[in-house]
Amino acid sequence: MKKYWKSSSMLLGGVILSAGMIAGCSSDEGDGDNGNSGGEGMSGELEIQYFVGGYGDSWWNEVIADFKEEYPDLTITEHKGPNINDEMRSRWVSDNPPDVVYIDGAGSSETQMIEDGQLANLTELVEGMEVDGEPLLDNFIVDPDRHDGEIFSLPLVFDTWGTWYDKAWFEEEGFEVPTDFDSFMNSMGDIQDKEGIDPLVTSGQHPYYFLRGMLYPAFGAAGGEELLNDVITGAEGAWTSDVVLETMKKVESMQQAGYFDSGLGALNHTQSQMNFLLHQNAFVPVGFWLPNEMANDVPDGLEFGFIPSPMQDAGEPYAIVPDLRPLAIAENAENKEAAEAFVEFVFTREYAELFSEHTGAIMNVAGVDLTENENVPEYLKEANEMINDPEQVQIYQKPHPMSADLETPIGNALLSLMLGNITAEEFTEEAESAAASYRQ
Amino acid sequence: MVQSKKQKYVFLAFCLVPTFILFSIFTLYPLFSGLYFSFFEWSGSSSNREFIGLSNYERLFQDKIFPRTILHDYFLVVTKVIGIMILAIFFAVALTQLKIKEAPFYRVVFFFPNIMSVVVIGILWTFIYNPSLGLVNSGLEFMGLGEWARPWLGDENWALPSLVLPSIWAGIGLFMLLLIGGISNVSKSYYEAAEIDGANEWQQFWKVTLPLIWPQIKISILYIVITTLNGSFIIVQIMTGGGPNNSTHVMGSYLYQQAFVQYNFGYGATIGVVILILSLITVLILQFLMKREKVQY
Repeated sequence: MKKYWKSSSMLLGGVILSAGMIAGCSSDEGDGDNGNSGGEGMSGELEIQYFVGGYGDSWWNEVIADFKEEYPDLTITEHKGPNINDEMRSRWVSDNPPDVVYIDGAGSSETQMIEDGQLANLTELVEGMEVDGEPLLDNFIVDPDRHDGEIFSLPLVFDTWGTWYDKAWFEEEGFEVPTDFDSFMNSMGDIQDKEGIDPLVTSGQHPYYFLRGMLYPAFGAAGGEELLNDVITGAEGAWTSDVVLETMKKVESMQQAGYFDSGLGALNHTQSQMNFLLHQNAFVPVGFWLPNEMANDVPDGLEFGFIPSPMQDAGEPYAIVPDLRPLAIAENAENKEAAEAFVEFVFTREYAELFSEHTGAIMNVAGVDLTENENVPEYLKEANEMINDPEQVQIYQKPHPMSADLETPIGNALLSLMLGNITAEEFTEEAESAAASYRQ
Repeated sequence: MVQSKKQKYVFLAFCLVPTFILFSIFTLYPLFSGLYFSFFEWSGSSSNREFIGLSNYERLFQDKIFPRTILHDYFLVVTKVIGIMILAIFFAVALTQLKIKEAPFYRVVFFFPNIMSVVVIGILWTFIYNPSLGLVNSGLEFMGLGEWARPWLGDENWALPSLVLPSIWAGIGLFMLLLIGGISNVSKSYYEAAEIDGANEWQQFWKVTLPLIWPQIKISILYIVITTLNGSFIIVQIMTGGGPNNSTHVMGSYLYQQAFVQYNFGYGATIGVVILILSLITVLILQFLMKREKVQY
């Protein structure tokens, strides 16, 4: 079933239209109150664990500094870095976790943490929480996942995968920005002929980049959320269904046309992104973090352009599958009161706007106007506008991230397909077999 | 002064007890912990775990990828032993017997990779193999052999053989020094006697040098086998991550993937136990095969 996005008032783009409301919010937030009742009585230590990846840590630094100012008696200890999930693993294993955790990056799994009972039940807290004078639950762009009806994490970062291209280069050379799969194939063919390059690159060392960046939207467009749910949960027969096979045939046709970078099997994600920046390829499926992650390597004149991955049939709108990165409180948090205060503190429009300024991405809070903000990159404004136009883009929500136990073997088979070592039919059989093992 | 029995035991205890304590903490404890965890279903990221008996071992026997990882491991063992030993012996003999003036310089050059971290070596060779910018493909194209260029680490057939070269490159120096030590201990009079008897240099190598440095060769082979079975996962992890499509996974990297990527820590521990058993069996077989009478002239 295809699901259009929430009502326009819930959308960023929807909010773009309601500047007056923003003005109101701005004046509310100007006093630094942030919807909290005050900083009195909060003391002790608050430990916060957060992954630092493509989005950097400048937003966190600012938010935590503000929180510290709000609660001066609180000692805040930050555990952060690109390998923080591995570094903190022993703390979680020994039931001595930090109080607040931002779940993102390698070595973290929200699903696993919930299954292991490591995250606190936030249902009651969230249902009673108000932010910017409105119930928090009404302020999310995408609602929190519920496990047996309970909420264990709050989606903080609204990430989405899509396909990137160099807008300036495309305009200069007259390349077509794809609008559907046929136009994608035409555009790649044109680029291949004119530039003599393999137009599409992705990371072969991490095939989930293509899985999440290209196939999820393709499955959403072809079979809606029901299919997306089935393939992610490994439902019986999902991967061998006709609709999945049709989608995989599209991938096979891309391979047979020689559109995939011939060396992609060896590339890690930064190498594939570097290839894209160097115009060795024209398209790369990555999330919103690409410009921030590669900021130091962007050649002069390159202008980031973002489209939802054009895997849908002609005449259909683009499809997008949000990828949410949540904030949670540890079940064994020693300072739950402070942890709850921090969560409440973060989910405001003020910090959502700041997030877009710092990271070039979107925080999962509705009602944020980015159109007039000069610090927000142009591609993000354009992407927002596109994402929030249901005529152009349909949004499909996945039930939860795919388990690594299923994603790993499917990623391996997918890479074989992209390298031309197996057919689409063989891929679906291998994926179905992986799903069968996963179900056991 | 004659030591009393008590003094002797105190001295022995002074030497052995701290060593045994450290050995117990850093070797025996992890060893038995690994064995213990192999009987559990455990994500490795929380304190919850469930005893499941031998289920992980049953699963291992049904795992289609694991036998491939064993083959990959032994492919690396065989190619590394052959490659490193041939080159290390060649360089050791050349630097000791051929009276090269720059021998000390070459000793440093050949040993240099050994002082580099394996991680650095892996990253370095990843760049060398880079499909578009790497030295290998650029060199081939420069020599007019462009059709031989390929995405070495991204090709399911070529990725594993491509890992052999950096592994050999990184290993030669240490064993070359070990063998140089052995050759230096061979008395010159043996070579003089052999020469008087009319033996050429090739015959001197086979009849004098090789038999007399056999203990060093044996130790080198055993060391290469053990370090490959236990440590080749580092270079795999850095250069290919086990891919493409599991074509370079060795037992160690597969263990890592299961334990830390797929959150099957108990299953990863099971793989660790099997690595230990296979390593022990391999070393015992090698000890048997390489058993020779000590040569003395």
